[in-house]
Amino acid sequence: MASRLSPVFLSCSVAAVALQANADSISGTVENAGKPLASVVITAEPTVNGKPSSANVNPVTMKMDQKGKEFVPHVLAIKVGTPVYFPNSDDIQHHVYSFSQAKRFEIKLYKGTPSAPVIFNQPGVVALGCNIHDWMLGFVFVTESPYFAISDDAGRWTLDLPSGDYQLSLWHPDAAVELPPQTLRVPLEQSLHHVIDLKMSRRTGKPPGTLQAEGYADGF
Amino acid sequence: MARLLTNTVLLGMLSGAVTAAENTSEFPNFTLHGVLDLRYQIMDAQSGELQHGLGKFRSGAEGDRLRVNEAAVVLQTRLSWDWSGTFTLKYADKQHNPLDLTEAFLSYRPVSTSGWRIGGRVGMFFPPISLENTGTAWSSPYTLNSSAINSWVGEELRSFGGEAQLSYQLDSGDRLGLFAAGLANNDATGVLLAWRGWSLQDYESTLQDRLRLPDNIGIRSLFPRQAAFTQPFVEVDGRPGYYVGLNAEQANRYTFRALYYDNSADPSAINNGQYAWHTRFFSLGLKAELPWELTLISQGISGRTSMGDIKDGKRAVDVGFWSASLLFSKSFGNHRLSFRHDRFGTDENDYLPQDRNSENGYAWTANYNLTLAQRHQLNFEVSHINSNRPARASLGQSSNQEETLWQVAYRLFF
Repeated sequence: MASRLSPVFLSCSVAAVALQANADSISGTVENAGKPLASVVITAEPTVNGKPSSANVNPVTMKMDQKGKEFVPHVLAIKVGTPVYFPNSDDIQHHVYSFSQAKRFEIKLYKGTPSAPVIFNQPGVVALGCNIHDWMLGFVFVTESPYFAISDDAGRWTLDLPSGDYQLSLWHPDAAVELPPQTLRVPLEQSLHHVIDLKMSRRTGKPPGTLQAEGYADGF
Repeated sequence: MARLLTNTVLLGMLSGAVTAAENTSEFPNFTLHGVLDLRYQIMDAQSGELQHGLGKFRSGAEGDRLRVNEAAVVLQTRLSWDWSGTFTLKYADKQHNPLDLTEAFLSYRPVSTSGWRIGGRVGMFFPPISLENTGTAWSSPYTLNSSAINSWVGEELRSFGGEAQLSYQLDSGDRLGLFAAGLANNDATGVLLAWRGWSLQDYESTLQDRLRLPDNIGIRSLFPRQAAFTQPFVEVDGRPGYYVGLNAEQANRYTFRALYYDNSADPSAINNGQYAWHTRFFSLGLKAELPWELTLISQGISGRTSMGDIKDGKRAVDVGFWSASLLFSKSFGNHRLSFRHDRFGTDENDYLPQDRNSENGYAWTANYNLTLAQRHQLNFEVSHINSNRPARASLGQSSNQEETLWQVAYRLFF
């Protein structure tokens, strides 16, 4: 069922579950070299006297689709313990795997056949690959914080937060340097704006642009 | 009751088998890729390999030519989650068998959920030397004519055997790997480098191929047992060869590859008109993604090939060879502009000075290509080679030659 819902909708629903009394909304934009930057994960950690505290939120299920020989979305942000479905919308097999510290797994995806969800029970960044299509690359950002969002194609994000003090962090798979966390107090009147420098060469996770490049593999 | 139980168990097994069959019925599956390459050439060049000459292009001394340069089909079959097969069947202009295999191998590539990864290939495949020929059927996205090194790889090098790879990779995509291979059917490798010399072309020899040796430079009188052609992929002495190498990659930034190759051939062996050439070399390659989306590819090779009996401590033919290339390429959307400089040379240290196998030279190649709808590629290319080969005197030619080849190609990839 969850697999039919769009990731954007699901992200929103996580934020909705997190909605509590006195909630306020903070929002912002992220850019790189003057252009909106998508797929930035924004995390807000509540701090009480400078110490993080976590709200108790039941994780919902999420999905990371294989569509057009790429992971969709490229970056998925989830709370620790969230089951993630890996549907396969292509009419070919995919062999999804990760050897990241936060979650090591492999899952064989026959075309059109659903498989059991993968539960991500450790915080961290999980890089995903496909053993059949080398260029495929996706990320699951697993956080302990109940408050997180992902910037959209226009670089915009919104977080609903109860009033209080927070530590805000930004993460992007191609960020050249990690931005230092920022402390803020909610409610916050102004919108936030961040600039992220990206690495010079980036792996997009998309199929090669030409059939010439896609038609040969020497195993190296 | 027991019967019911048996039936249930049987039914369960059957449904299990059916489910398994459904799941595995996806294998084997097949993917087809290929290329059709139509070429128009204007040349100012000496006779090449096609005319038994010492020219530096595949063909020369011909009028302008319009032809099907190549048509190749790559069948990729996935046999299981870990095993797949790749078969490249090719037609090329003046190929010995109109349709023949350039590669045919099985790959083993199990998934790894740790940083360590193993893999391997068995069959007939290109040794991992070229960093330019990464496209369908070993085509290059950068140029039509391959570099001197990769032209030689296309003509005379193919692995017949098995290759094993071991690598360690990081989440970032960076990896470091070692590979090694055991080889057969590579004893004639080196003959063209010695007797014809380096060349610039884009012909990949096939399984049963025969390539022409230069005429009228004394080869047949000095070596009467040598056939008029070379069969690049024959086994002469029954001794296996090998290569070992290292591969290092920083994801999308740098690729570095080093390889040592030795076909371990017995230089005194001959069979059916084909000598065994003891060929060994070092190969280095670097690919770097530079600022302004500029790609740099540089390769270098240095080695020796020896053949024949020994007199006064020297072989009948003993040729040292080396080459280096530097390519810069930049893509602007669908457009790509590439420039390459090649340098090459051979020297000899054998007891037959009348068999002149030394040379040196350099080449420039400039290519512009436009790819539309991911599959239609229009190429404009010019290659210019300046070389000196004393053996040309036997043909009544000046040993210094300048040769130029203009090419327009339409390539269809599917």
